[in-house]
Amino acid sequence: MAFKRKETTVEAVDLSTITPEDAQTRIIAGVKKYATNEANWSKADRNTPYLGHITGMGIESANLADITMSIERQFLTKKTKKVPVALKGSPSGGGSETEFTLEDGDLGKLRILEGQDSVMATPGLTIQKLMELGHLPTNASYLDGTASFATIVSVGAGHRLTDALRKTALRMEKSQPAEKTEARANLESLIKQARDFETLLGDPAALAASKQGDFQTDKNSLEALTHELSIVNEKLKGVTSSDDPSRSTSLRAEESQIRTRIRMMRQKLTVSEETARGAGVRKSVDTAKFQEVRALLAETIKLAVEALAQVPAGC
Amino acid sequence: MTLTSADIRNLRLQRLLGDIAVPFTHVFLSLASRYFGYRFRDLEAFRRKVWKALDGHDGPVIWAANHLTLWDSFVIFWAVFPLLRTLEGRRLPWNTPEHTNYYRNGGWFKCRVIRVFMYLCRCIPFLRGGEDEFSVQWRQIAFEKCVWVLSEGGTVFVFPEATRARNGWFEADKPKDFLGSLCVRVPRAKVLCLYLRGEGQAGTTSYPAWGETFRMDAELWDPATGPASTARSIAAGLFTRVGALQEAWFSASTLLKNCSGNDIVDLKGHLLREHFSDDLLDIDPEWAGRLLTSKELEYLGARPAAELFSTFWRFHAAKEAASKALAQAGVKVLPGGFSTIEVDLFQNRARHLPTLLECRLRFTDDDADKIHCVAVLRGGRIGDDSEPGDVLWKVAEVPPGESGSGFCRDLALDLIAESSDDISPASLSFTEIDDIPRVMRAGKPQDWGVSISHAGRYVACSFMVS
Repeated sequence: MAFKRKETTVEAVDLSTITPEDAQTRIIAGVKKYATNEANWSKADRNTPYLGHITGMGIESANLADITMSIERQFLTKKTKKVPVALKGSPSGGGSETEFTLEDGDLGKLRILEGQDSVMATPGLTIQKLMELGHLPTNASYLDGTASFATIVSVGAGHRLTDALRKTALRMEKSQPAEKTEARANLESLIKQARDFETLLGDPAALAASKQGDFQTDKNSLEALTHELSIVNEKLKGVTSSDDPSRSTSLRAEESQIRTRIRMMRQKLTVSEETARGAGVRKSVDTAKFQEVRALLAETIKLAVEALAQVPAGC
Repeated sequence: MTLTSADIRNLRLQRLLGDIAVPFTHVFLSLASRYFGYRFRDLEAFRRKVWKALDGHDGPVIWAANHLTLWDSFVIFWAVFPLLRTLEGRRLPWNTPEHTNYYRNGGWFKCRVIRVFMYLCRCIPFLRGGEDEFSVQWRQIAFEKCVWVLSEGGTVFVFPEATRARNGWFEADKPKDFLGSLCVRVPRAKVLCLYLRGEGQAGTTSYPAWGETFRMDAELWDPATGPASTARSIAAGLFTRVGALQEAWFSASTLLKNCSGNDIVDLKGHLLREHFSDDLLDIDPEWAGRLLTSKELEYLGARPAAELFSTFWRFHAAKEAASKALAQAGVKVLPGGFSTIEVDLFQNRARHLPTLLECRLRFTDDDADKIHCVAVLRGGRIGDDSEPGDVLWKVAEVPPGESGSGFCRDLALDLIAESSDDISPASLSFTEIDDIPRVMRAGKPQDWGVSISHAGRYVACSFMVS
């Protein structure tokens, strides 16, 4: 079987022997073919998002698995020994193929486990995660220059809102006189939304509070799933010897399915927790990113208000 | 099948003991409700409305409600009944829980405690699964017990869907006959249609979230059975009424009613072939394993090799479309977290594994060049080739020199405007709220389930007219 990706031969290097900056250069080069926004890719740094067309490299979410595999192909690590994770409440107490961590072993191919790439939204965050997982030594000065996941998410939303505001102003200018009233109402509404968001971005505590919603939803979902697991366990306790053997088998299958769902939900909770927690904490690089997008929003709001003034109310 | 005199004696005894126990049960449920921080919006007004209707009908009543959590019976009972009303034994509902959900839980002691509690809550356990003689007979006896309760002027509580709605949506166009059959047997019975839902209840869960706030509405409906009435015709009427309550519930909710998504795949895109062999007959198993579940891989492996490429991308389009529909319901799938969505291409369904929310799928523009998939979680019907649904869509090629994302947005606004004489494209614009694309009209974000997609040479958009 000849897969096209194998045509590109990459010499993998030991992550512990290179600097984070070198790793970053390799990561950015590795995702080049998936990037659809060449301009943004060519000037990409540690804080350039992989996804998104406005400030990101324009990589499609369909290619996220490719990014992960591209990173894996380029690096070697000593964290290669699989250690099963004991499952809380599991009758066997053991792990499964999908629930293990990687500990020190022989030098081998880097493996990014399911869910570990969830917050790898930029090259810098990718390296930060690799550091957290112990694949390369922690480098505080590199991390100081890496914007947080929460920042990337909020700043991205700010850029998209700026874009929407600009386009709505343009639509209003182009609209026919009979359509101006509704077009004006849209622009007014969007200006208000943009102002509110600009204020929110300037208030770390309020931003963190606004991100609590997703976190709470995921937390509730995880609790509900844990409860479902306990219900199935209770049902298993209620299985008697006179029961149809298929009942026990079916309950065991249900138990296994819920455990998988819990694992998936935990991964999601990790991301929403990270977003909620990080939204309230800003390093200087985060502050700069927020200032940049707030300035852009403020400028676009100003232009939109000027456009609005050209169209009298009730027109 | 008729009940034996022993059956009837037992039901009378259960009714008597239930009457004695119900004030205690009510206090227990009140305490439990407080413990879980549950709140009921406009509870007094709701109770006044329900009891005004019930007091005007001196006959049997069937309660019919939507079903989202295992605790619905308790929550609805508590919402309807003030403590003093529990003294009106005839109005206390008999419940019809699934036997395997409640009667086989825990070890010897716990199992018996639950059974006693369910007995005192006037439960008639049902065995909904199984077509063997034992299960069928069980259902018939349980049905006859419900008929007996109603013929005595009592009240029976039934979930007409017979199961919790996997998409979190009461499907008014898919009536089930059980409740209609009860009405046919007991023509004097009226139906109390109920819709209760927590403000944050996106789909099915085992119990409502802590601190949940419920909103509910009800309507007493007289099926007015006549010679031409059938179980199906009555069930259809009942489902329509609960569906209308659901519409009203969503119109006052912050949750979006219309949740749908779409995705277009340009099959000639060079990156799409990267993980396939040159002849497209083989796929890189490591890559496929990151994007597909084991069931999907099994399905893929069973397809003829010539269909491998297009089948893989059908899976992918379905997952992407479903993830957009889920996001509109507040269930965000992590970027690239496609293994958390399992697609059944035979049944045209996509299930989000962590929440078990299920979307319906439809492949519309499906040829050698492209695949377009639409997913609907809730809000309306997806339709099929013979019957149009509530989703409109359009697929187009991006004109040379145009930006895909800009063209796609304009295409969506034009499509919406074309669908109504009252809307002009200029009166619409796009925004984003909570990371979800929304269309605004006259300054207000609309609940239209709008979705846009761009891949290579193509763009596509969809929205719901329900």
